[in-house]
Amino acid sequence: MPPAPSGEIVQLGIIGVLLLLLLFYGGTMWMSVAISRKKENADDYMTAGNRIGFGVSAASMTATWIWASSMYASVTAGYTYGVSGPIHYGLWGALMILFIYPFGKRIRAVAPRAHTLAEVMYARHGRSSQLMLAGSNVLGSVISLTSNFIAGGAIIAMLSPLSFGAGILIIAAGVLLYTLWSGFRASVLTDFAQVMAMLGAAVVIIPAVFFLAGGPSMFAEGVASGNVTPQQESFFSSDAFMNQGAPYIAAVLAYAIGNQTIAQRLFAVREDLIKPTFLTATVGYGATVIGVGMLGVMALYLGVEPMGGDVNNLMPQMVGTYLPVVLVALAFVMIIGSLSSTADSDLAALSSIVMTDIYGQSVGRKNADPKLMLLIGRITMIVATGLALYFATARFNILDLLVFVGALWGCLVFPVIASFYWKKVTNTAFTVSVLAALVVFLPVRFTLFPLEGAWALLVELLAIIGIGVVLGIMAFGFFGLRAAIVIGATATLAALPFGFGFLRDYETLSGSLVAYSVSFLVCWALSVRSSQDFDFSVIKQVTGDFDEGESTTDGETRPGNDPDDIDRVTAGSGSDR
Amino acid sequence: MTALLTVYVLMWPVLVLGVLIAIARGFAKDVAEARKEGRPVI
Repeated sequence: MPPAPSGEIVQLGIIGVLLLLLLFYGGTMWMSVAISRKKENADDYMTAGNRIGFGVSAASMTATWIWASSMYASVTAGYTYGVSGPIHYGLWGALMILFIYPFGKRIRAVAPRAHTLAEVMYARHGRSSQLMLAGSNVLGSVISLTSNFIAGGAIIAMLSPLSFGAGILIIAAGVLLYTLWSGFRASVLTDFAQVMAMLGAAVVIIPAVFFLAGGPSMFAEGVASGNVTPQQESFFSSDAFMNQGAPYIAAVLAYAIGNQTIAQRLFAVREDLIKPTFLTATVGYGATVIGVGMLGVMALYLGVEPMGGDVNNLMPQMVGTYLPVVLVALAFVMIIGSLSSTADSDLAALSSIVMTDIYGQSVGRKNADPKLMLLIGRITMIVATGLALYFATARFNILDLLVFVGALWGCLVFPVIASFYWKKVTNTAFTVSVLAALVVFLPVRFTLFPLEGAWALLVELLAIIGIGVVLGIMAFGFFGLRAAIVIGATATLAALPFGFGFLRDYETLSGSLVAYSVSFLVCWALSVRSSQDFDFSVIKQVTGDFDEGESTTDGETRPGNDPDDIDRVTAGSGSDR
Repeated sequence: MTALLTVYVLMWPVLVLGVLIAIARGFAKDVAEARKEGRPVI
C-alpha cells in the first residue's frame, strides 16, 4: 500500500485551469449558439416544445440531478460512515427520481403543456397555492445556484493559483452566457455533453484511484492499522442509517416535488418516454454518486486526513494525490460539468417560474406578451446570477438554508400530490396545511423548545404518523390508494413501540416527518367534508402555451392553443380563490 | 471480505458505463429521428 498522502497534491496551474475552462465553456457556448434562433419561442424557452427524446431527456435529468455538492457529500458519507455511507446518500437521492415518476405521469396527463408545477397549482387552486410553491422553488433554485458557484470557486482555488472570487466569477459568467439566449433548450442540449464528460470521467477515475492507491490490499491493511471502526466496516451500519439514510428517505419526495428543475424536464420530455427517462436517470445518478463516494471509503481505509480538517477537500485531495495530471484534469472537468449542468438548470427553472407564475398567469395566458416574457426570463437569469454571486461571496450558511427549503418542500408534498388525485382538496386546505406544517416543523428542527416532556411525546407521535405518511405516499404512486393506506397504517403501527423516547434524539429526521404528518392531517381534515368536486380537465385548459409563434412543435396538435381554451378567471373550476 | 469490497468499489463505474452507453445510443437515435423528420433535435 502506498504511504498515506503527505498533503502535496497535483496542481493544474493557472494556464491549465483556464484552458480547461475555455474548452468546457467554449464548447457549451458553441452548442448553445448552434441551436439559437433569431426569434426565440417563449414556450420553447421554458419546455423545448414538450417533446424531447429519450437520449436528451435522460442525459438532462441525470446531469441536473448530479450536482457538485452531491459528489462532495457522498465522499464525505463514505469517509464518515464507511462502506454503507455512499449508499445512504446516493441510493435515496436516486430514489427521489424513481418515486416521483408515477406522480409525474399523472401530472403530465392533467397538464400536458404546463411549464411549472406552481402554474398547475394555480389552475387547481388559485394564486396563494401557486405563489407558495413558486416561492419555495425560487428560494431552492437560488440556493442551489449559490452552492454550485461555491463548489466551482473552491475547486478552482484548490487546483490553481486563482482565487475563490475569480473562480466563482468564471463559473457564473460561463454558465450564464450559454444559457441566457436559448434558455431551457440550451440547458438540456449542453446537459448531454456534460453528462458524457461526467460519467466518462467517473468510469475512469474511480478504478484509477483504487488501483493507484494500492488496490484490494488497502482494505486488509486499513483494518490492521485501525483506520476503520466495526460500524464503518458494516454494510448495515445503524449509524449510517439513522444519521444519513433515514432523514434522506423522508426527504425523497420533498426534493422531487419541490425542485422545479425536475418538473421542467417532466413537462419537456415526450409523454411516452417519462418512464424510461426517469428510470435511466435513477440508475445513472445512483451509480455515479455512490461510485464517487467510494473515494471517501478509500480515503478512510488509507488513513487519509482531510486537508485543513475539511472533509469537503477529500475528493480533490484524493484525485490530486494519487492520479497523474491528465486524470486530475479529467476529474476537474467532471466537477465543473456537474456543477454547470445543475446551475444552468437552476437558471432555466428560475426564468420559467418568473415568466409563468409571476408574469404569465398574472396577466392571463391570452394577454401575455411572448416578447416581454422572454425579456423577463433573461433578466431573471441575470438577476439570479448576481444574487447567487452575492450569497457565494457573503459565505451564507448554505446548509442551514437548504434545511429550511427542504422542510418547506416537505410541508408541500402531501397537499401537492393530493391536489392531483383528490377532487375535494381546496385552496384553503392546501394553504392552511402547508403553513401549519411549517409552524410545527421550525421549533422541532431548530430545537426552539427542548424536546422533553409532553412536547417530546407530541413530536414523536407526529413523527411516527409521518413515517406512515411518507411510506403511504410512496406506495400510492405505484400501487394505488388501498395499498397506500395498508402500508402507511402498518408502518405507523410498527413504529409505535420503538418511536417514543427514541425519535427525540434525531431532530433532523423528526422535523421532516412532522412536516409530512401535520400537512397530511390538516389537509385531510379540511378536505374530507368539503363539497368541492373539482374538474381536472380545467387544468389542461388553463395551462397551455403562451406563444403562438414559430416552435419546434409547429404543425402538431397543441392543446394549449385550442379555441376553447380559457383563462383561470373564466374557468369556474369550483375551487375557492 | 477483500474480494467483496473490491467488487463493491468497482461495480459502480461498470454501472455508470452501462448508463453512458444507453444515453449515447438514445441521443444518436434522437438525432437520426429529428433529421428524418426535418426538425431540430431540440
